[in-house]
Amino acid sequence: MSTVIDKAPAVAAPVRTGRHSAAAVLALARFEARELLLQIPVFVFFLLYIGHALWKLFLPGDGMDDYPALQSVDRSSQSVLPFLAVAVLMCVNVAALRSRRHGTDGHFDVLVMEPWRRTVAHALSVVPFAAVTALVVAVQFGRAALKPGAAGHGSPAELAVGPLVVLLAGVLGVLIARLCPSIVGGPLFIVVGFATFLTASVVTGEKEHWLNWLYPVVSENGADPIPSDLLGRPAAWHALYLLGLTALLLCAAALVSGGRTRLLKALTVVALGATAAGIAGQSPGHEARLTAARTQVNRTPGRFQSCVVHGRSTYCSFPEWTGWRDDWARVADRVQRLAGGGAGGERLTIRQRIPLIYDLSSDAALTPLSTPGEVTVGTRWGGSRVPEFAVGVASVLVAGDEQAVSRVCDARVITVMWLALAAQDDPAAAFRAVRLDDSTAGSALALAPTEPVPMSAEQTRIVRELLRQPRYSVTARVKAHWTELTSPKTSEARVAELLGVPGAADGARNGSGKGADEGAWCQQ
Amino acid sequence: MTTAPTVSASGLTVRYGGRPALDDVSLCLHEGVTGLLGPNGAGKTTLLRVLATAVPADRGSFTVLGHDPGTAAGRQEVRRLLGYLPQTPGFHPDFTAFAFVDYVAILKELTDRAGRHREVRRVLEAVGLSDVRARRIKRLSGGMRQRVALAAALVGDPRLLLLDEPTVGLDPEQRMRFREVIAEAGEGRTVLLSTHQTEDVAMLCHRVIVTAHGRLRFEGTPAELTARAAGRVWSSTERDPGARAGWRTGMGTFRNVGDPPKGAELLEPTLEDGYLLVLDGEPAEVASV
Repeated sequence: MSTVIDKAPAVAAPVRTGRHSAAAVLALARFEARELLLQIPVFVFFLLYIGHALWKLFLPGDGMDDYPALQSVDRSSQSVLPFLAVAVLMCVNVAALRSRRHGTDGHFDVLVMEPWRRTVAHALSVVPFAAVTALVVAVQFGRAALKPGAAGHGSPAELAVGPLVVLLAGVLGVLIARLCPSIVGGPLFIVVGFATFLTASVVTGEKEHWLNWLYPVVSENGADPIPSDLLGRPAAWHALYLLGLTALLLCAAALVSGGRTRLLKALTVVALGATAAGIAGQSPGHEARLTAARTQVNRTPGRFQSCVVHGRSTYCSFPEWTGWRDDWARVADRVQRLAGGGAGGERLTIRQRIPLIYDLSSDAALTPLSTPGEVTVGTRWGGSRVPEFAVGVASVLVAGDEQAVSRVCDARVITVMWLALAAQDDPAAAFRAVRLDDSTAGSALALAPTEPVPMSAEQTRIVRELLRQPRYSVTARVKAHWTELTSPKTSEARVAELLGVPGAADGARNGSGKGADEGAWCQQ
Repeated sequence: MTTAPTVSASGLTVRYGGRPALDDVSLCLHEGVTGLLGPNGAGKTTLLRVLATAVPADRGSFTVLGHDPGTAAGRQEVRRLLGYLPQTPGFHPDFTAFAFVDYVAILKELTDRAGRHREVRRVLEAVGLSDVRARRIKRLSGGMRQRVALAAALVGDPRLLLLDEPTVGLDPEQRMRFREVIAEAGEGRTVLLSTHQTEDVAMLCHRVIVTAHGRLRFEGTPAELTARAAGRVWSSTERDPGARAGWRTGMGTFRNVGDPPKGAELLEPTLEDGYLLVLDGEPAEVASV
């Protein structure tokens, strides 16, 4: 038996074009992104991340937040991202394994969208999360940058690290799913990866620059801000490394899933090149030059600064901090107005300085200056840094120079602290803020831009009493007895007497001399 | 004169470990529902998987509306024309019925969101799942899940629908519902329905193919398959030892299939009788290839 076929088999025209394939990948990416948001770890960690950002934005800080140094702010958002990235990695990994776990991959493999395109869609499903991260980072940075007290410059490359890390984590989750199609693959990778980097750090040393920069996030927080050109962070190279690595892992996942298009192969080569260039670029090469530059700026800051005269004094800052000079001048003037003798009209030089640091994680102290009338100011401002600076100004007015202050172990401390604190809007709060242990009783160190000022318990008591008295009456006494108050030979009891503070029970009987703990405290 | 076939296959051979699962199968599928009958291991699923481009044939070739799946581009075009319900379909249990079918629709590259959602609603309504479309699949009964799988196969209005034992495990009411859907699906498209249920074929199919041991044993209309048993079904009070198959009926008499003795009381044959005879060593006869 046979059948006569009169018509030739009709060849159906292609129903959809390649453009539709790309659109389908995007449609699937949108679908997977929606599913990803419903995964508890991603949902919770994103809420926490956004909540943390809002908390930082709207809750009152310590005052220093009003004076952000943008070259530090740009990378400050990176530190919380690894937790979010791990959640994204795990959930994308599980999503990419969904078809295999539920036995639909055999069926889906005969649908129009090829497996490698599905792999790409899984990777792209992370894009909205990276976009939200970018938005949060932009809002955080934008808000800091718009503050009147903002100084310095942010780096777009530093800001890009957060979103790139989220993207990288998602792509990594997809690749792991394709290489190790098991639900334990993701957790196993995280544990093994962490252990590997830990071991490598131990073997090569923590400070191994090239190894550190292979990590997605190198936040390096701890040190006070320094000028942008001294940061030594290869942020742009690192962003290129992350971008290249993300693209490379995406291409690898697509290739493992059977993708063989010319575009994919070309993209793989480009991504490989970008990754290699990023690694090479962020590897050390100018460490010695950077250290030399930092040392030079530390030792001779004046060569790199511009100065401006406000009233009697001169204010010198690095170019990125010129906007803070007016604030420094306001504080210095207020302190100087309270001083007596020649100090009230002394011409001070307020010099911004940075400590000598070898990496941005270490917190180093500034050494006191020996130049008479020169006062150090740091690269942070606002909050407790204001009374600390006032302590610095008052110290120089009383002792002559910063190095002399570091040797003050006598009653002049009372005058220094009163000058510094009486010039504040809220002296009692400033008193607490400026002391290392936040106390207003007992002995403690009072912080200053360079060396801290040691205060005995009796000196603390006298200052506390002075701050309770009307400022104008104390000011009059300070000006009237300036010479005696700034003499190292004047005893605490005498200072108390000159300033109208009743002596302590013992101190009142012992009108001659030092408080019980004065000598002991200064010897420490 | 007939219209051009949707599927033209020639010499399809698939071997698993040297054993032929499909052995030189040639066939044509036209618009309408074609039943694929055969015992377990007859190669039905393998044939469907080959036509669905899930596995390649070791030898032979086929085209779907002229597209050759032997090339990557042709395979993509075949897949665009295809709706496939596997024998044991998988599901994503946390997806709703709507989301799962929508997911499949995306994998079929239906990119317009509004149009796709309309299409998903249409197929869910066609399989009678409109009311439970927002319910998670893990909360659906087995029959409902099977209908979700059918909806997934139907979405995108495929020209060729391959259904591998879709009514297995369904209760009679669900099977009736399935028949309605499949019959409707057969209008204007080509459906290949693999099944063990001869009554499904009798009620739904305009053509029937019988396979055994990987070979095509019969291709024709259900009436032609039934006619193969004409004069070869008879009734007796005892099981006739000469019968190829025989069983006691509800009436208490035996229904025998085979070569009846002279004077036997002949009965009206059914499609199942013809199927049994085709399977039972009858010479392969392929009609209308």
